Amino acid sequence: MLLGLSWAILAGSMVSLQNVFNSKVNEHVNPWSTTTLVLGLGFLASFLSGFAFEGMELFQLHNMKPWYWFSGLVGIGVVICVTQGVKLLGPTFSISIVMAAQLVFALAWDSTGLLGLEKVPLTFKQLASILIIIAGMIIFKIGGKRKTAS
Amino acid sequence: MKGIFFSFFGGAFLTLQGVANSQISRDLSTWQVATITQFTGFIIAGLILIMMCKGDSLELKKVKPLYLSGGTFAAVIIFSNISAYKQIGVTFSVSALLLAQLSLSFIIDSKGWFGVTKQKMQLPQFIGLVLMMAGIILLAV
Repeated sequence: MLLGLSWAILAGSMVSLQNVFNSKVNEHVNPWSTTTLVLGLGFLASFLSGFAFEGMELFQLHNMKPWYWFSGLVGIGVVICVTQGVKLLGPTFSISIVMAAQLVFALAWDSTGLLGLEKVPLTFKQLASILIIIAGMIIFKIGGKRKTAS
Repeated sequence: MKGIFFSFFGGAFLTLQGVANSQISRDLSTWQVATITQFTGFIIAGLILIMMCKGDSLELKKVKPLYLSGGTFAAVIIFSNISAYKQIGVTFSVSALLLAQLSLSFIIDSKGWFGVTKQKMQLPQFIGLVLMMAGIILLAV
């Protein structure tokens, strides 16, 4: 479990760094230029890492199913929804909702086993944990005006 | 209301993305998943960019080169994310990921790293982090 947890923490830290970097890019160009650049570089980095670790095996797509090609489009949906949300509500409120929705859907997925995921029955403890986490996020995000340090 | 709708579905898509990636990774290697999904996303984002006729790529020269490299992190993010989903499930992974994300953003904000506006740590942020940690520990035990 600790290994899985470490992966999640590494991913979360990188997401945070990436958000800072991407918003710096976004200050100068429109969201689609940023998205194209970010996904293009992500593709390149993944391709090179894959080639370094797997060599020619990277090109063997034996079990490829057609819908796999389209799963990348979900990322486009993320960009459209999040940029619109932030534009309409401002980053603080919008990102709080994004994060809460992420958790609610995670719980829904685990408990329904949709898309062939291993079904994890919903327990009261899980629901309570998620509510505590969401409460924490909301307090973190909207609780108290954070003053700018001089 | 429209903003809430967009934000809500943004979150739903983020979780869907993680789930789809980990499902695909049963048939393909993790690196293949990361490469393919971002390739499709890159092509479509590029097409949208061209259709919008808002070519401002020259403006990219104004951005510090370091910040342009953010996209490359996705290789690590997708790889770690898939590994986490497989090992500890969706709910636990997303919770831990969000906690790490908020904690590091918080450190960056309070230290003013990467030229972000420095923000003071205040009680609500502290309480928020403690609550999130408590929730994650409760999930784990």
